Amino acid sequence: MLKLIDVEAGYGAIPVLHRVSIEVGKGEIISLIGANGAGKTTTLMAICGVVPLRSGDILLDGQSIRGVPGNRLVDMGVSQVPEGRLIFPELTVAENLDMGAFLRKDRQGIRDDLDHVFELFPILADRRHQQGGTLSGGEQQMLAISRAIMARPRVLLLDEPSLGLAPLVIRQIFGIIQKINRERGTTIFLVEQNAHQALKIAHRGYVMENGAITLTDTAARLLENEGVKKAYLGI
Amino acid sequence: MEYFFEIFFDGLTRGSIYALIALGYTMVYGIIQLINFAHGEIYMIGAFTALIVSGVLGALGLPGYAILLMTLPVAVIYASAYGYTIEKIAYKPLRNAPRLSPLISAIGMSIFLQNYVLLAQTPDFLPFPSLLPPLDVVDRFHGVLSSSEVIIVVTAALVMAGLTAFIKFTRMGKAMRATAQSPRMAMLVGINVDQVISLTFIIGSALAAVGGVLIASHVGQINFYIGFLAGIKAFTAAVLGGIGSIPGAMLGGLVLGWTESFATGYVSSDYEDVFAFALLVLILIFRPAGILGKPAIQKV
Repeated sequence: MLKLIDVEAGYGAIPVLHRVSIEVGKGEIISLIGANGAGKTTTLMAICGVVPLRSGDILLDGQSIRGVPGNRLVDMGVSQVPEGRLIFPELTVAENLDMGAFLRKDRQGIRDDLDHVFELFPILADRRHQQGGTLSGGEQQMLAISRAIMARPRVLLLDEPSLGLAPLVIRQIFGIIQKINRERGTTIFLVEQNAHQALKIAHRGYVMENGAITLTDTAARLLENEGVKKAYLGI
Repeated sequence: MEYFFEIFFDGLTRGSIYALIALGYTMVYGIIQLINFAHGEIYMIGAFTALIVSGVLGALGLPGYAILLMTLPVAVIYASAYGYTIEKIAYKPLRNAPRLSPLISAIGMSIFLQNYVLLAQTPDFLPFPSLLPPLDVVDRFHGVLSSSEVIIVVTAALVMAGLTAFIKFTRMGKAMRATAQSPRMAMLVGINVDQVISLTFIIGSALAAVGGVLIASHVGQINFYIGFLAGIKAFTAAVLGGIGSIPGAMLGGLVLGWTESFATGYVSSDYEDVFAFALLVLILIFRPAGILGKPAIQKV
């Protein structure tokens, strides 16, 4: 569904990604794990056109999306939950969710999805008239995920959803990500430092070091891999 | 007491005009953090367009209110086209440049437009026809308030109420607020940020043109330089209220208008600007973010 082929990208004169190839199949959960500064976020920014490619290509359903501006991707079925969540702080929870469905015209469908989101995260229903900036970190992450699925994406990109959250909240959020994948068939590409949680819900995983993919396998086998255990799982 | 109310309404009228212009400064600042110094010139161009159009219509022998109703839309469209174009040629190419570059570009645009009108029209003051029709009801309060004051205040209030409703309830209005709060995320949810920025310039310019036509008709004369002082005053009003805040710009405009009128009425008209800018200094010392502005706190 989403395919990166030998992607090279960077900031100004500094190259960050070196021949990165990743394939995300339809209905899969794929995790990209790696340390701070490995190039995980840059990979996502390359997909949504914020960082230009120097070479290589990115395909969505077999079509190149190289050079497609970020605001056109939503229309093509790709939604993103960015690093640091980027909630609109002075918009209410309801308005944040409405912005997630900005390009949609089907009012009934939007209403159904809103109900669905409030079912996944009942706390958001209670806080729908509250400003986004007043929510706790965990609630903001729930809102960011909900805002992304309000676009009814076929592919959901998540950047470090566990960042700065309590272990209990992390487990809840990863459970919901898995649920979205199972119940709605949404393809998920997850970028995470929290390798253990990310691999536990994923089908396959990629390990990134210094801007290059160094290892790829099924998630179960990566969890058993000695190198991964030592470097990322702290075992 | 009658004198007090006369000054009060004079301040309200000035304040409404300042508020209309200040909205353009504050909306643009809210979205791209730029002080659009050419905004005062948009107001001046709105007034000049109205002068030309009303001159042509006046020659046809139409009554004042009919001329006003036809002149105002033309001035608004013309000024909006200027605002839109200025953004495209002077600010958009500098969007990723250091903050100082678009600011200097804005000052350059302001000087360019002043001189353009100076050369294309005249350096002298031109008489502006009184387009605001006399209202019988108001004329009974003669001396305290005039018809044109009532029309200015009511028009400004309606325009601002419309703007507030647009920003608060429509999807495009929400998209404008979302873009102001996080342009990157706005792009990620599918908002065309360039379009939102253009719309902001168009709305701001339209409001300035309304202000320009109303005040020119009230005062009765214009020249190429009226945009400069009006622009500085409206910018002051926007900072007073809290730059980036829409209700702040409205409130800041009124506060500034009353300050000037009461200073003129009870002290001396020589001190009008002294009081206006002294108020700005005081507010900036005690409430640096403005009356309704929020201090910039970044949550990490």
